[in-house]
Amino acid sequence: MSTLKEILTRRPVAATIRLTVPAGGARPAPPVGPALGQYRLNLMAFCKDFNARTQKYKPDTPMSVTITAFKDNTFEFTVKSPSVTWYLKKAAGIESGSSRPGHVVATTLSVRHIYEIAKIKQSDPYCQYMSLESICKSIIGTANTMGIKVVKDLD
Amino acid sequence: MALRHFFKHLTILTSSYGFCTLSSRFIHPSLTTLFNNINPKTQPLIPTKFSLPLSHCYTSVSHPSTSTLLSPYLSVRIRCPKDIADVFSEALMCFGATSTTVDEDDNCDTSNEICIESIFPESEDVDVCISQAADSVGLKMIPSYEVKTGEHYDWIKKTQESFDPVEVTEGLWIVPEWKTPPDVKATNIILNPGLAFGTGEHPTTRLCLLLLQRLIKGGERFLDYGTGSGILAIAALKFGASFSVGIDIDPLAITSAHHNAALNDIGLENFQLRLVSSNTSSPSTDEHKDIQKQTSFEAVAESEHETYDVIVANILLNPLLELADDIVSHARPGAGIGLSGILSEQVPCIIDRYSPLLDNISVSEIDDWACLSGTKKLTGN
Repeated sequence: MSTLKEILTRRPVAATIRLTVPAGGARPAPPVGPALGQYRLNLMAFCKDFNARTQKYKPDTPMSVTITAFKDNTFEFTVKSPSVTWYLKKAAGIESGSSRPGHVVATTLSVRHIYEIAKIKQSDPYCQYMSLESICKSIIGTANTMGIKVVKDLD
Repeated sequence: MALRHFFKHLTILTSSYGFCTLSSRFIHPSLTTLFNNINPKTQPLIPTKFSLPLSHCYTSVSHPSTSTLLSPYLSVRIRCPKDIADVFSEALMCFGATSTTVDEDDNCDTSNEICIESIFPESEDVDVCISQAADSVGLKMIPSYEVKTGEHYDWIKKTQESFDPVEVTEGLWIVPEWKTPPDVKATNIILNPGLAFGTGEHPTTRLCLLLLQRLIKGGERFLDYGTGSGILAIAALKFGASFSVGIDIDPLAITSAHHNAALNDIGLENFQLRLVSSNTSSPSTDEHKDIQKQTSFEAVAESEHETYDVIVANILLNPLLELADDIVSHARPGAGIGLSGILSEQVPCIIDRYSPLLDNISVSEIDDWACLSGTKKLTGN
């Protein structure tokens, strides 16, 4: 909960911008440029900041960023790790999920993959209060909607 | 010989990686943006400025394999009910939008609708994407939207407007090209950053400039590793260095730096810029081979190993780690070396990597950013 002081000094928000940017690869070109330029935000500062903070991810992993632009041309942003579907596709080595999830199985993954993905996701800001088990369950749920089967051990 | 004109507020280039000289061309009679010849061995830039109406902006790349820096994009304005705006924007991102922007509505109007502006790459099928997103969110009908092709000069012009003169430290100002210096007697560095990094406002630039003030006593040879807009190389000359070299892997940066050098009346006899290929240390990367510049750093700088008195590298953590040996190899023993572009939490990692190479390591910080400085070890290597 924000304190009273925070509420009183909260700057007026101009817009909320969502973007997908490859890790370490923010440049003042589209998609970053037009979206942030509209609100006169300092593109270079964002790019440098974003690149520095995503150094620990593999280059070109698509990170989802949410930027809050304030009316005084300043901004704050939070970086989230890539979506679960992206991780699942990478782990399975497939381009897209199954065309008929529930009926056609696209590929299988073992619980170890799910565990690894859950560990990465746990460092995401909105997952931190969830137990590893519940994160795993939600990943398995996503896998099911993509037609990816999860088995205990891969042969 | 073609004249070199500058677009008054902006030097935009479509980056043609792999060309070491960009030829000037007239794309269309009403679009007159010219490219400079960036071969540093030939003449210096002629700083004639040509003011063009901003509606004649610039050009499209005819080179097929290069960047999407100025490729057109689609900008879509969608109206949807307020309460699902967030979820709907997330859904749009999943289905192909590259970005979505939701404006904050201060004056609560009676309608409960809000506008989402979304940007799509030109090749994307907007109708399909929106209907899929609406489906996944549970909207019964597809929201109304309008599509238009985005113009690049809009956002570029807006970012340019946001630069003001900034005082880095007492007596040192960084002034954008189109503003007048507030203090004419101070050391003023005039910049047109274009699309390269280095306006002087960022904490890392500031840290590096303060470091330079301490290290440069007069007459040194300076190397700016990852020069961006050339701000550090120019600052070194203004502080008294005798010779400044800036290197970068981005052709836009080199052009920007050339332009900025001209703005500060710096000639080629003590200022040079080089474009280097980015795979000097990892020859196994294949993806960028066809767009790499041929000149590799080793070939150019063979005679220049161990000749610089001061080196500053303001890049990012990973390049700093990978290129540590290369960066330090250009310094003479005992030279001052500065490293920045790192967050405070990344400092231990850098210290680990550089402690076998540098003595007297010290760290300075502004906000979350840090700058490491040291001197090259006198023995060994």
